[in-house]
Amino acid sequence: MDIVPQLIANSLIAGSIYAILTLGFNLTYASAKFIDMGFGVMTAIGGYTVFYVSKTLGAPLWLGLIAGILLSGFVSFLAYTFIYKPLRARKSSGAVLLIASLGTLTAVQAVIAILFTSQFQTLSGLLHGNRVFELFGAAFTAVQLSIFCVGVLLFLLLAFLLKKTLFGKATVAIGDDEEVAKIVGIDTDRAMGRLFFLSGAIGGLAGILIGFDTGIEPIMGLPWLLAAVVAAIIGGIGNIYGGIAGAFLLAFAENFGIWKIAGEWKAAIAFGLLIIFLMWRPQGIFKR
Amino acid sequence: MEPETQTQGTESNGSSVAKTAVWLVLLIIVVGGLIFYGSKKSGEEEAAPKEPIKIGFIGPLTGDAANMGQNAQAAVAIAVAEVNTAGGINGRMLEVIYEDGKCNGKDAANAANKLINIDKVPVILGGACSGETSAFTGAAEQAKVTVLSYCSSAPTITQAGDYIFRNYPSDLYQGAFGADYIYTTLGKKKVAILYVKSDWGVGIKDVFLEKYKALGGTIVAEEGYEQTARDLRTNLTKIKSANPEAVYFLGYTEASIPGLKQAKELGLKAILFGGDAWDDSKIWTEVGEAGEGAMYSVVSAPLNDKFKTDMKAKVGSDEIAVCTPTAYDALKILASVLGKVEATGEAIKNELYRTVYTGGVSAAEVKFDANGDMVGANYAVKTVKTGKAEVVQ
Repeated sequence: MDIVPQLIANSLIAGSIYAILTLGFNLTYASAKFIDMGFGVMTAIGGYTVFYVSKTLGAPLWLGLIAGILLSGFVSFLAYTFIYKPLRARKSSGAVLLIASLGTLTAVQAVIAILFTSQFQTLSGLLHGNRVFELFGAAFTAVQLSIFCVGVLLFLLLAFLLKKTLFGKATVAIGDDEEVAKIVGIDTDRAMGRLFFLSGAIGGLAGILIGFDTGIEPIMGLPWLLAAVVAAIIGGIGNIYGGIAGAFLLAFAENFGIWKIAGEWKAAIAFGLLIIFLMWRPQGIFKR
Repeated sequence: MEPETQTQGTESNGSSVAKTAVWLVLLIIVVGGLIFYGSKKSGEEEAAPKEPIKIGFIGPLTGDAANMGQNAQAAVAIAVAEVNTAGGINGRMLEVIYEDGKCNGKDAANAANKLINIDKVPVILGGACSGETSAFTGAAEQAKVTVLSYCSSAPTITQAGDYIFRNYPSDLYQGAFGADYIYTTLGKKKVAILYVKSDWGVGIKDVFLEKYKALGGTIVAEEGYEQTARDLRTNLTKIKSANPEAVYFLGYTEASIPGLKQAKELGLKAILFGGDAWDDSKIWTEVGEAGEGAMYSVVSAPLNDKFKTDMKAKVGSDEIAVCTPTAYDALKILASVLGKVEATGEAIKNELYRTVYTGGVSAAEVKFDANGDMVGANYAVKTVKTGKAEVVQ
């Protein structure tokens, strides 16, 4: 029983990262209606930009952070403008777009590996002293606490953006019906471009946080993307709020699932949960 | 009736004879042309300098363990350059085709298929990770292509086949060595195991478990993790609560860096003891104080100064990863074998069983037993002090 607080902390740490990723993923899924695999590689772009700007060039950390977030957003925007937009204009099916985005993921991943080698890198050296806190017998670091806080802030920010701004309303309208949104005068192209930028930037931010906590590598995109997709499906794919619930449910299931059985079952538990949801509650926790 | 049919028959025979004649002429032109072209080509070949001998190389050049694979690749390149500058093998140059096995079976099998079927190499150097090698030993055995692995240690490879060799000791030795060292030398009687679910990790873990229990020790926790996992917090939380005196942590660089940090964050105080994959300086510079006091077993290699300088010139650092000396020696062993026999898988295989190679940088003497395994193994234990691994005397 003495390890329960630590298991809760572990779940919250993992859940916060999943939640941030799921937020970014759901943003484009809700509007563009296809599974954007390219989203995964944005984590590597964000992480490696900070690595290059702040660690290799030695620029201040805040500059690296801004560059990382902007660049990953920009790459995502470019991928939309030059790949997904023409394909969608041609009325390509979701499967075609999925393959195209998988191509984006693989290509960008390969470019990063060429530029930075495929070795595992960490960003934690950029932080001076990562304090370890203890609360009710659970240990967590300052970085992990910040990840949790960033997740909460991001959620509030997105909720505000979607509910209160014109851009948010346009996004919701596109999600409901793109054709009708276009007819009533919404510039859907511009809104979509912005959404992809925002989604990519969130992916980049997640990658940077992952880099501070564990580390980055060019091939990190796919495993993290899979976690985000699983969390999104469990929560109700395309539903921003449901994604958060899905992310934490996934994290708790993974970490508490291996409490009494050996740790090698972690992945089996995650995907088992996915299958259970797909079979018996395909709409997820919250219906869109 | 009969003559009629005969006439009809002759008529139809006549037209088919004409057809056959046309086909025959065509055939003669085509075949003749081919023979003419072929003989011309073989004539050209004789005049031209001898073709290089192709050797395949498989190792993790990207992905997990890429650091180790790229380092080994550099050593092979040095060895090839040495052989070729010295005049090659009986006048023929050595050419190595490098393929990326990514430390997993799927990519290694693809790489091996390409080397065997397209490049038609007689011998493959590799793979590095045991999971790579296991994936293509069957195909190589069937195609009569000799395999010499410079880094695979999984015990299962012993039985992989007649054409499969390795100049890297089996984990049977390493697991048993680790168990004995932790139990007898360190005097730790309660141990927890954290292992990567790969051929390498599971192979060592099984031998370790058996030996450690036989010695009288207690295993308080046994936790595996996926090779791609980077979050080992819950595994470590469980291990901490089991209160071991030492943790036998089998992991590659990519999971070990976060894993060691997480162990420190969670306040795990037990001694961390690792396998030969920890012989990667990157781990210890990255984890900083979290690696302080960690220990690991590694094959002790009698490196010489020339090799160290050559490597430094090639990779730009002092880094000599775990399988780098064996990769270098493996190529040198093949070069010596190719100097004696023709470059076919079968001839190389037969000669390898007879080979005794001395004066290498990885071991004083390399020879293979009837299973193609290297005979004997010497291990050293290294401990980490202020970010650097030092040999424990």
